[in-house]
This record gives sequence, structure tokens and C-alpha cells, in this order.
Amino acid sequence: MGEIKALVVDDSKIMRSAVKRTLNQLMLADFEYIEAKDGEDALEKFNDEVDIIFVDWNMPNMTGVEFAKSIRDKGYEKIPIIMVTAEKSMGKVDKALNEGGANEYITKPFTADKMHKTISRYFDEDGNIASDEEEDGKQKSFFKSILNS
Amino acid sequence: MRLDNLTELDQIPEEIVCKVKESVVNTIGSMIGADVEYVDETNCDGPLNGIIGNINIFNSEHTLSLMLAIPKESALHFSKVFIGMELPFESDDMGDLIGEISNILAGDVAANVEKVGFRGQSSLPTATRGSDLTLFMPNKPPTEKMKFVTDDSEFWLTMVLSESK
Repeated sequence: MGEIKALVVDDSKIMRSAVKRTLNQLMLADFEYIEAKDGEDALEKFNDEVDIIFVDWNMPNMTGVEFAKSIRDKGYEKIPIIMVTAEKSMGKVDKALNEGGANEYITKPFTADKMHKTISRYFDEDGNIASDEEEDGKQKSFFKSILNS
Repeated sequence: MRLDNLTELDQIPEEIVCKVKESVVNTIGSMIGADVEYVDETNCDGPLNGIIGNINIFNSEHTLSLMLAIPKESALHFSKVFIGMELPFESDDMGDLIGEISNILAGDVAANVEKVGFRGQSSLPTATRGSDLTLFMPNKPPTEKMKFVTDDSEFWLTMVLSESK
């Protein structure tokens, strides 16, 4: 399996653990984790080696949407950003997609099955992040993943 | 639903109460993997030995405060089913867990009460742990206290509607 560097951003240590535990269960890849407790911390810890980002919305100092927007503004257009959040209204989903540039939206509480349905298309069978060409189609799955949530 | 003058309102509008009740049953039930039942019990004012998750849903005019009061035994049970192990009650992780449960509940409540005209955003959660805890509301704003049970736990949700000042 390929080694994937995942940045997990949540002000709750319990939820960071839940995300990591779920990803490990899914065995889509061999994950190495970087953890951050809010958007500011995540910006400090972010580097070119990060392959995928899981980020909460409601956090102190800098929200998940602000963080995601900062990443896109820095020119990282392709890195998958998965919002994992308790915010459920369609207005919030729209904001995460259009203002933050997130690829996917998973609502808490999530199950391993829901996580798998949402993110498995970002991984190829060797456990690597799938290529750019495939990602174009994946963007269209955004609203589908919300309906599944 | 009119919330123009809260001083004339002696209780939280029934539409909001119903939506919050629905959110508690669905969200907490989903988090702990159990059937959550509302109990129509008026006499539930005893002091709490446990932990309270606090969170607000607010807009520029109104604030809906949610206080999730969980007895110690129920909190220990929640930790076991939510993360697979029983957390020490006195630990920071327990506060983190109850804060996160409150946060998830508030996310659902915010989406649900929007359907009946209350549009707001969630604050960050806090948690208060202690014994002989009693909630009281200065100035007597519209308040609703509800009890919920599962086979292995019980908890209360107090919600208060006030002006955002």
C-alpha cells in the first residue's frame, strides 16, 4: 500500500482520534498523520508532502472553511479537502464548497461506511491518491456524498 | 413564528421545542447506537452529579442556549459506546467528548430549527463538570427542560431562548 500523509484538523482530540481510527479501519492506504487543533495550527503544520486533509468547521482561531480557503489561495488546487463537521444546513455545505473550496462534506456523527463511500474514490487500488484526471469526475460526486450523509 | 418581543413570551415556541426534541432523539441515538426516548417528567429539578455540555445557536437578535446535563454514570457509558473505551470521568478527554457531543447535537439543532424560521450559527461548546450542579436562569427567560432515557443512560436537555445582547 502507498503511504499517504493525512492532515487531520479538529479542536477535539476525541474526534481526531475517531477520524484516524476510521481511516485505519478502512485500509485504503498506509496513513501517516499530522494533527492540528485549529486552522491556524494546521496552516503552520501544512507542507508540500500532505496528500489529503480532513478538517472540522467550527474551531477557535480559524475555522475549517477559512483554513481550506487559505490552502486553495496558496495554489494547492488538487489536494483533496474533506470537511468533517457537525454543521448540516445546505447553506453551510454551499459555503464549504464555494468559499472554502472543499471537495467533500461528511457530517458528524459519521460511520466507517459513510467515510468509505465519500473518500474511497480518492484512492487508487495501490493506496495512492488518484490522478488528476480521475479527480475531475470526483468533484461531481460532492452533492452525492451529501445525500448519502 | 414570532420572536419579536421575548419579554412577552413565557415559553419557547412549540415548533422549536419539537425540532430540538427530534434532534436529540436522532443525533444522540445515532452517536451512542441506542434508542433515545423522551420522558414527559415534570419533576426533574434535582442537583446533578455529572457533566454539562453547553453550546449556543445564535443570530444577531436571539440566542438559543442548549445545556446537556449528563449524570456521571451516563457520561461513562457514552464514552464507552462512542469511543470504545470508558474514559476517566475526571479527565480532560471526558470534557472533550461531552463538548463534541454537544457540538454535534447543536449542528443538527441549527439545521432543524432553521426549518421553522430560526436561523443561527453554533458557538464553540464548553463543558462543566461537578457535583450538586443546579442550573438556574436569572431574569427567567423562556426555558424548556426535557428528560431523555435509553436502556443504559439518562440525561436532560435544558434550552433557553434569550435576546442576543
